[in-house]
Amino acid sequence: MTVHRSDRPLLEIQDLRTHFFTQDGTVKAVDGVSYEIGDGKTVGVVGESGCGKSITALSVMRLIEQPGRIVGGSVLLRGRDLLRVDDAEMRDIRGNQISMIFQEPMTSLNPVYTCGDQISEAVSLHEAVGRRQAWERAVEMLQLVGIPDPARRAKQYPHELSGGMRQRVMIAMALSTNPELLIADEPTTALDVTIQAQILELMKSLRERNRMAIMLITHDLGVIAEMADDVVVMYAGQVVEQSDADTVFAKPHHPYTTGLLASIPRLGEKRQRLEVIQGVVPNPLNLPKGCLFKRRCPHAMPVCDTPPPLQEIARGHLSRCWLTPAGEPPAVGPEATGELAEAAASALQAPA
Amino acid sequence: MEGTQLGQIPAKATTGAGQGAVDEVDLTPVRTYWQLARQRFMQHSLAVVGLIVMAILVTLALVVPTITGSLYAKTSLSLANHPPSLLNPFAPLGYDSIGMNVFIRLVKALQTSLFVGFSAVSIIVVVGITVGAIAGYVGGAVDNLLMRLVDVVLSLPSFFLIVMMVALFGTGNAIVVIVAIGIVGWTTAARLVRAEFLSLRETDFVQAARALGAGDRRIIVRHMLPAAMAPVVVAATLGIADSVVVEATLSFLSFGISPPEASLGNMLTNAQEFFYRQPILILYPGLTLILVVLAASFMGDGLRDALDPRQRVRK
Repeated sequence: MTVHRSDRPLLEIQDLRTHFFTQDGTVKAVDGVSYEIGDGKTVGVVGESGCGKSITALSVMRLIEQPGRIVGGSVLLRGRDLLRVDDAEMRDIRGNQISMIFQEPMTSLNPVYTCGDQISEAVSLHEAVGRRQAWERAVEMLQLVGIPDPARRAKQYPHELSGGMRQRVMIAMALSTNPELLIADEPTTALDVTIQAQILELMKSLRERNRMAIMLITHDLGVIAEMADDVVVMYAGQVVEQSDADTVFAKPHHPYTTGLLASIPRLGEKRQRLEVIQGVVPNPLNLPKGCLFKRRCPHAMPVCDTPPPLQEIARGHLSRCWLTPAGEPPAVGPEATGELAEAAASALQAPA
Repeated sequence: MEGTQLGQIPAKATTGAGQGAVDEVDLTPVRTYWQLARQRFMQHSLAVVGLIVMAILVTLALVVPTITGSLYAKTSLSLANHPPSLLNPFAPLGYDSIGMNVFIRLVKALQTSLFVGFSAVSIIVVVGITVGAIAGYVGGAVDNLLMRLVDVVLSLPSFFLIVMMVALFGTGNAIVVIVAIGIVGWTTAARLVRAEFLSLRETDFVQAARALGAGDRRIIVRHMLPAAMAPVVVAATLGIADSVVVEATLSFLSFGISPPEASLGNMLTNAQEFFYRQPILILYPGLTLILVVLAASFMGDGLRDALDPRQRVRK
């Protein structure tokens, strides 16, 4: 399924499964997700709320809490499986090789300590440096993320800073150890649009400077267009489409991606009504049989009662849909072969 | 990682990254949480009175017995039942039925009571924080086990448990009294800390600390405890009053500190025997006890209002 390259990518997520064992049943929040992130690449992960984007990221960091559990798959960081290293090693990787910034800059900083304290803590957790050095690094990092008068700001408490400033502090903290991979979980959602642009600009310039890869989780396709090299579209815990950014925007294949793109308002375009994807994300406790998107899909057909595989429809372009690469309904007949034929046959046999 | 990586980040990098940043540095002086708390405490007049009274009592209890040494236990029958007199600076409260200097004895008793109170509260706080933090942080079966232990301790009649422990391990020993009060009293603190931890462990900043690679101990001690301290400080202050009363009661029933060591409780017992001859003797330890308890309670109230600004309902 994955595209093979001669050198190993930085991060390979393979068939990751994270389930939540609730009283009402098992929620398969992430169910067989695979994708990879190359060195210095930015991968945008998109999808509606609750589709498993953040849970995938938290699984990579091994920060899943009860009642959730990673039940299968592997997460390879430079070939080393993070799901199999011990806790101490994992702590060393967190914040050092992989850093994460969160959606809520307002609450992600500890209100009890100054910004400088918190950045120096991040530094001293992973490097044998003295207090003075750590503090100097903190001030340096604050300057790097574009905070004016960093020496003074370092002595201030989080409540004395605005949201945009706090997100800068979070970024400074995440980058203080020069990670190879930055996981940004909706880094701009809580910020207003102008600050959003500033933060994205900042992340771009830091990405180039530090040559780090970014896993960018968002439901804002505008942010993806701005930042991402590759795009992973998720729906109900699965990857439904995966490709480079240009292809996804120019030639989306999966009806869900098409729907997402159609529901963006565009400047200067006259439309009566903004298109929406009908319906809601299915209840994770009661997923439909077959294709998870079929209830909302404008192209739903009998064959959709069988779960479609994630298949390569063009070079480097994967889609989990029965539609042909050209977007036509698949031909069901004697000429059909392989999985599709079996699926069509079983769909005709009995209305499950 | 290696220090060389630091070098990769140019020190002068603001211009590129920070062009959009227009925030100005705010120069207004900012009052920290503790400064604000102190200000609110100072506005609580009863609490300030409590603090002053407590300061005077603690100073007396520290200074006077150091000067007078073992005089508190000295009997001289020739002076027995000498009445109080302000003209006698050495024995303003007179002498008791066996000729002990009442003032010196009273201050020594105050020292004992405060020592027991503060020490017992220290045990309560340390045990309570440890148990509560572990229960709240780890959760699950550990939490269940520890909280059921709390329930068990709470379900026992605490005073009789203390009496039993003191009777078993040494009547008249202050350390035994302290430990007994501590063993019985840590439950409230544990519950408070656990409750705080349950909500704190879900906060984003704890999650962020974990994502930075901080270990459990570091997260508990550095990131969660400071935020959980306010209710513990209040409970501890109020706990001083409780512990002092328990110690006095024990000593009054002659389970606690026994003569010739002085305690407010055994002074009361002693005075009770001579109630008809010298009723005033019962007043000194009684009033002192009330002063200690009220001072601690008022301080506790003041701290509660000062540390939790949201909870200012009553005026």
